Amino acid sequence: MKRAFVFVVLCSLLLVPDPSTAHHSFTATYDTAKTVSIEGKVVQFLLRNPHSFLHVSVTKDGQEQVWNVEWAAAGQLSGTIANSIKPGDPVVVTGNPSRDPAEMRLRMVNVKRTSDGANWGFTAGQFVN
Amino acid sequence: MNRTHGFLLALLIGGSAVGAQIQNPAGPPADAAGLGPVVSGTDYSGSWRPNQLVLESQTAAGDLADYGGIPLNDAARLYALSWPASRQTVRQHQCMGYVTPYFWYAPANYRIWEERDPFTQRLIAWRFYGQIAQGDRTVYMDGRPHPPAYAPHTFAGFSTGTYQGNTLTVETTHLKRGWIKANGVPQSDAATVEEHFIRHGDNITMLAVIDDPVYLTEPLSKASMLVRMAKDPDAWLYPCDDSEQILGRKSDVVPNHLFGQNPYVREYANNKKVPLLGALGGVDTVYPDLGNNLSDAAAAERVANARMMPSGPPAVSRAPDPTPRDGEIQTWRVSGDVYLLTGDGANIAVQVGPQGAFIVDAGSGKLADKVVAAIARLSAKPVQFIVNTTFRPDHTGGNAKLQTAGADPSLTGTFFSMQFQGAGRAATIISQLNTQVRMIDQKLPAPPSDTFVSDRRRKYYNGEAVEIFPMRNATTDGDSIVHFRRADVIVTGDIFTTTEYPHIDTKLGGSVQGEIEGLNFILDRTVYVHDEDGGTMIVPGHGRVTDEWDVADYRDMLVIVRDRVQALIKTGATLQQVLAARPTADYDVRYGATSGPWTTDMFVEAVYTSLKNPPTTGRVK
Repeated sequence: MKRAFVFVVLCSLLLVPDPSTAHHSFTATYDTAKTVSIEGKVVQFLLRNPHSFLHVSVTKDGQEQVWNVEWAAAGQLSGTIANSIKPGDPVVVTGNPSRDPAEMRLRMVNVKRTSDGANWGFTAGQFVN
Repeated sequence: MNRTHGFLLALLIGGSAVGAQIQNPAGPPADAAGLGPVVSGTDYSGSWRPNQLVLESQTAAGDLADYGGIPLNDAARLYALSWPASRQTVRQHQCMGYVTPYFWYAPANYRIWEERDPFTQRLIAWRFYGQIAQGDRTVYMDGRPHPPAYAPHTFAGFSTGTYQGNTLTVETTHLKRGWIKANGVPQSDAATVEEHFIRHGDNITMLAVIDDPVYLTEPLSKASMLVRMAKDPDAWLYPCDDSEQILGRKSDVVPNHLFGQNPYVREYANNKKVPLLGALGGVDTVYPDLGNNLSDAAAAERVANARMMPSGPPAVSRAPDPTPRDGEIQTWRVSGDVYLLTGDGANIAVQVGPQGAFIVDAGSGKLADKVVAAIARLSAKPVQFIVNTTFRPDHTGGNAKLQTAGADPSLTGTFFSMQFQGAGRAATIISQLNTQVRMIDQKLPAPPSDTFVSDRRRKYYNGEAVEIFPMRNATTDGDSIVHFRRADVIVTGDIFTTTEYPHIDTKLGGSVQGEIEGLNFILDRTVYVHDEDGGTMIVPGHGRVTDEWDVADYRDMLVIVRDRVQALIKTGATLQQVLAARPTADYDVRYGATSGPWTTDMFVEAVYTSLKNPPTTGRVK
């Protein structure tokens, strides 16, 4: 009986799809149902694998906070974006917030440089799809 | 082989006959001594990708607090519940490699090819390459043995294979601590994995069985399928390079949930409308008996809640001790000219070269003659220097014997002999001053004669820079580490072991925070070759040779235990209450002891004491 059950479980595992297929789950880190925006200045842009990061200094109530914005892999961002974003650039970043409210983290949805209107993100038609 | 494994294997092997037209019969038995067995069997060569249904149903990541169907033990469940996804931002976790069978669940490309002897065309090995994390496994088919227990572990592990009919069976040992599922369910470094590969035309069915004495109550079977790609996908790279993802975060921060405070513990169960007891995993979620346990929903909820907190008697380590106990000294080449000698108390590191042996720690002395003989097999020159990383007798008991092995009459009366006490008559023993003071206080034989109090003692010896760094207030106020810079080997002393909790002696200036700082000091000097494998090699005070990953894993453990004890202290908990809360419950199966010279309770007491009353200085008293 138990063996049969195991077989049924195995078969059902093979047949029932689950949407979370990444090698690690963004939904475990970020609340992907929400978006928030921050406005500040670029501290640095890390073009890295497995994921790039944009660090943004935000002044809130007179205090500087550095937000850590997780972006795409280096291969997706190299070229135009890597050569465009500079420390000190004024930006508005929209992203999914960390599920831990104490963490100043976002998963990048869109970044807009307010000085010239340049816009990057995951929305169709933007540099990264 | 457990019943689940046996049934699945029989099912899969039976099914393999259906698509056996491309397979070859098993080869003849072994012959031709020295060349390895002649083997031939199914050809697995080619470019492969995971079957889409497998990818969609058996994601490597998984949802938070979804452990159903995994026969994990209580410790593994607590380990997983304390894991937040933000742990992945810790530098050493960013490029963590994949252990098998987790290796096979990445949504990317795989290449399989064979390595053959160019002259005999005998099959030496199968090679498995996975694009994600650029995992590169070698499965030796030439009958070679697995390395000894004190050899390094890697994410690929050490694999040997045999053909059983049309099935390739692979045995893997020497794996690092990795994931069964990357939602926090750990696979320990004591795990071994048996994999069976069965080809059906353009598909490979893979059945893996994980036997993990540390985290599983019975072997876990996992199946996967690969689909052959007719065209090479030309996408094989996944270069990973860790970075300061969270700017400004201190190196002694390792994100974790305190026991009972994982805010997402019910998320999967609620979303999928399954009982929490089932989502929390355990052997009872593998078999249909679970249904009986769920018939009373309130009772099931009580059991589930109880499983989120430590319970039952304290566990002891279930990981095999890699130290040989056969009365012999075993030698292992670590890197460059640096070797491990193991078998006489604490580990001994030996650097050899034209100037003679340079030794770090001397063992207990019980087998000192055999240690001297083992060193003599590496170098005919006298022992010139011995560094003691601590005063403890299991590290210094061999001082006297090894020191006399350094007698070199040719040096007597030279300028050299004026530099070091005993030069020419014996090896010079070096340590930081506190080690010497402890040895003199405790009347231990052959204390160091060459001491230092500064932040670095350096030598250039046998063609490489050797640096000795004192570690303040780690296991005591007298620890040191030694870095052989060309070989790139760090000898850690008791600051790091692979066998037990750190032996923190608060009466002698030890502290958990100093331990963490010492480990982070080591991690600031290490560099891996690829995805937390290789590069700077580590000789621990006790246990197997390793590298950065295991040091980081040990650091993580200490930070997490410190955080738990600190949180309890903030509530006003007494030592007895802290001990009763079992803040090490998820690590005891790996490092714990309830008897012997260093028990879990002694370690927790040391953590508690050093947090309540931190040592004021690590300098000479």
